[in-house]
Amino acid sequence: MTTTPGALIKSSHNSSSVSVRADLTSAHIEVWEALASPGTWWTGHERLAIAQIIRIAIEEEQPVPPWESASSLGRLTETGPLSAELQDAIYRLAAHAGTLTEDWYSRLRDATAITPEQWVEVIEIAASVVSVLRFAEVLGLEKPDFPPAIGGEPSRKTQPSKPAKHHWVPVVHLEEMTEELAPYYQGLTILPPVVRALSSVPSAMAALFLLSSAQYIPMQEMADLNWSRGTLSRRQIEFVAGRLSAHRECFY
Amino acid sequence: MMLRASSSVNDMEVDLNAIQGEAIDSSAVVAASALANLVDASVNNLENLDAARAELVDATDEATLVDAAAVIANFEMMTRIADGTGTRHTSDRMESMADITTAMGLHDFISARR
Repeated sequence: MTTTPGALIKSSHNSSSVSVRADLTSAHIEVWEALASPGTWWTGHERLAIAQIIRIAIEEEQPVPPWESASSLGRLTETGPLSAELQDAIYRLAAHAGTLTEDWYSRLRDATAITPEQWVEVIEIAASVVSVLRFAEVLGLEKPDFPPAIGGEPSRKTQPSKPAKHHWVPVVHLEEMTEELAPYYQGLTILPPVVRALSSVPSAMAALFLLSSAQYIPMQEMADLNWSRGTLSRRQIEFVAGRLSAHRECFY
Repeated sequence: MMLRASSSVNDMEVDLNAIQGEAIDSSAVVAASALANLVDASVNNLENLDAARAELVDATDEATLVDAAAVIANFEMMTRIADGTGTRHTSDRMESMADITTAMGLHDFISARR
């Protein structure tokens, strides 16, 4: 049985009579390939352990409440090398993101010694996993398995990120753009905070731009309020986005 | 989230009640009811997803269903990014959104208390 990322995603997207856009399939293949590969701060094995917790959290019919420890309740198994505190934090990010606070983030850092950049990469993994699995679920497709981990060390490449006024995590400011961030920063005079949020880890920015362009609106079309793929109008797109965000109690 | 960013720079009229409450089809948001039912089923009632998918295909077409599923997936992603990084709006954005955030009761969200 083949387990390449491409084969896993194609098998999922071809599992019903519904025809999935080719750019969506390509984007999901790309993030599935990255999921199992060494990242910037985590190995492929660690990234898959993080992904597995996210999968458990979003697939549970009755998630553990945010004030409970999923690991203590035995809900997280086969999650590899991660500490119990970090497992619980990842579970809460996936299942109850709207309940996170700055105090919670500070306690997480104290308890686990996780760096802000490692946390940003956790969020990148969450972004990839929830995108691929929720898309399949909503469309009634078979959900793809994770690909096997690829060996190797993380790149540990740092960025000139600095404490930020509009985030808990440090970000790279526009005037300190690096080569890795140029594809996302170049030509812009201002960056919305949510786009800047992942800038301390350029691979996370890459995942965000890739997925948003295929799932939502291509970045270069964002300012065109009449843009459409010929299916949903911009109003319909924003209606769906707003309703989902309200369900998730996301203030931003 | 990006709803507010885009709606604040144009004359797009957004029925805020429809975002959170009962959605009624209109010329502003075609197939709003079917779209809302798909979103609601995806979050709160997976058993209703089959019916919600069929309703949206009846109201529109299969390609629209695919794109709606993709937007849902995207904002499942964006909510984790915004809330996981503690992303806040700038103060001038908060001022421009004041009426909307009050009308929608967004200050009651835990994610507003950063």
